[in-house]
Amino acid sequence: MTGHAEARTPETNKVRAIVRACRLISRMNRLRPDVTRSENLYYQMLSDYFTRLLDARNNGDFIAAHTVFFPAELLYAMDLVPMHTETTTWMTSLFTGECSDLLEAGSALGLASEICTPHRGLAGAFSLGAVPRPDVMLWSNMVCDNTAKSGELIMELAHCPGFFIDHPFKDSPEEKQYLVGELEDMVVFLEEHSGRKMNWDRLSEIVARMDRQVQLTREVNELRKSVPSPFGSRRFLELVTMDYLFPGQPAAIEYLETLKQELSDMVAQGKGAVARERFRLMSLFIPPMYLTGFLEKVSQEFGAVSVVEPFFTFWGEGRLDPAHPLESVAQKSYMLPEMRMYGPLDDRALDAITSCAREYRIDGAIYYADVGCRHTCATIKLFKDTLSEVDVPVLTLDCDVVDPTLTSQDEIREKLERFFELLEDR
Amino acid sequence: MKTAGIDIGSLTTKAVVLGDDGAVFSATASTGDDRGQAARQTLQAALAEAGSGLGEDLYLVSTGAGGRALAFSQLQKAITTCLARGIHHQLPSTRMVIDIGAESCTVVKLNHRGRVDDWASHDKCAAGTGIFLQQMSRLMQLSLEEMSVLSRRAKGRADITSTCAVFAESDAISHVHRDPPTPTEDIIAGIYHSVVSRIVSLCKRVGIEKDVAVAGGVALNEGIVRALSEAVGFAVIVPEDPRITAAVGAAVLARESMEKGMS
Repeated sequence: MTGHAEARTPETNKVRAIVRACRLISRMNRLRPDVTRSENLYYQMLSDYFTRLLDARNNGDFIAAHTVFFPAELLYAMDLVPMHTETTTWMTSLFTGECSDLLEAGSALGLASEICTPHRGLAGAFSLGAVPRPDVMLWSNMVCDNTAKSGELIMELAHCPGFFIDHPFKDSPEEKQYLVGELEDMVVFLEEHSGRKMNWDRLSEIVARMDRQVQLTREVNELRKSVPSPFGSRRFLELVTMDYLFPGQPAAIEYLETLKQELSDMVAQGKGAVARERFRLMSLFIPPMYLTGFLEKVSQEFGAVSVVEPFFTFWGEGRLDPAHPLESVAQKSYMLPEMRMYGPLDDRALDAITSCAREYRIDGAIYYADVGCRHTCATIKLFKDTLSEVDVPVLTLDCDVVDPTLTSQDEIREKLERFFELLEDR
Repeated sequence: MKTAGIDIGSLTTKAVVLGDDGAVFSATASTGDDRGQAARQTLQAALAEAGSGLGEDLYLVSTGAGGRALAFSQLQKAITTCLARGIHHQLPSTRMVIDIGAESCTVVKLNHRGRVDDWASHDKCAAGTGIFLQQMSRLMQLSLEEMSVLSRRAKGRADITSTCAVFAESDAISHVHRDPPTPTEDIIAGIYHSVVSRIVSLCKRVGIEKDVAVAGGVALNEGIVRALSEAVGFAVIVPEDPRITAAVGAAVLARESMEKGMS
């Protein structure tokens, strides 16, 4: 079977849709003088990532599907083709506007409508054959029970072997060492199934770049503290994607260095992401993907910019050491911005939001309360109370990250308008 | 120049003209199919109350479900902002206002200046709204007033869910058809409890703080107000005309905007 023949079959149509959308956006962006080089790089990177996945079978590559917050550095070091499962569902929603067929297929498998839509959609995608069949499925208990169970289901649906990483939540030397052991076992599993050996030198290089990547993200965040903030709300996903899809990859370094330079220039010129910055916002959890364009329009209209996302782009302290690559990969998983929220809910989470509120001069916070994510929604009250202590009002927006049927655009707009009025009227 | 506010709800349109001394002149009418027409007529009636007419210079702020579509208002404001300003004008000691409208319920927490501190609303289900009470009144074959009076005589309370209006209706029907049937007054007490428990959970999301006022058409239902007071543990207060609170707020905001423009 040729790659092109396979691309015409239903198996790869969602990935193909993403690739087509990325290429189209890249083409359109070339005609727009306001589009930055970093944006162009981003769409090129997405296009390359999903094209590699689309062509993997034809190229004789080994596809390793993995869930979110998974150390994809190891896959790159072994020259395997990674498929970030949740991001594939998100991107389907982002670039095609919806993924109702995937959600319906997930429901048909018996998954209740209350279950996290990226996972329900994932199961649907695999049952429909709408994404390539992986050679192995890799998953962990990061970040929730849903992820832990989802990986198992995908393994069954895709009829492939799988490996589950038991990720300890506590951050202690013993727990980290346990995680290193888990990673070592996974490497053995991957070597057995792929027939490829781990390239430890390459892994060291990747870890060195990942360390640089984290540093660059921190520097970008520093620039976002400027008033007005130079980084637009809709680009939040770009920063997240850098780690999810491209950990320690040269393209990620190029993107971040380019972005940093662009933002530095804007700060030097006193330029902001919106024409007149009125409200500096903190974003908690993930805005609905299918509303990215709409939310950007609202952001421009009201001068409201998300300047910090404590649990998605705000990395924890620590450095990575290429001399100890596996230990560094384990260390990185404890530095993940999300780990503050999804690990043991201790003062790290609360300290992060209060310090971010002060340092980024936040006027208000928007909590995108994804109804399917009980893990996240459980923290609404806690975070709201904490932010109220530093006089930051919080808007809780009930929504779903990929399913547009839960909340209408009008309803979200009305709530945002109310919130901006509240902020203005204080 | 006169200042006025108009709240175009899904069922009722309320208009308020603010006198120079802060006096409130109001009118209410059914919204019907033509919101623009209803707004014009209601405003005209309120202006007539104030001793003037539509021809005069007017600064109008609109709000409510149909507020945005009103072509002849100078400014549109969110219902939350209007409720806070309105209740502050009507009852300045209020720190939380519960607006129970026909199709939604909104709880607004406000500060001593009548500014919104926080709010919560539910608009996904008719449970806990005026429409739900109307449905129940039809089901019980009693007027809303009769239900309110009968609820005082309740000795018990029927279990009626607060999570879904349709399920709540099924619960009420099953109580009617029991053998022997649950006493009517106990069913009504159950219905009120169902409405109130949903509203109170909304209040708790933003934190209950005294004084608590109730606005919207449902605030005229003495039985609901009594049940709410019992649920929060103290007497909730009701402004003189709770239906017009948001419209009063819109009129206050119109005055503020006009004064800002003049300064």
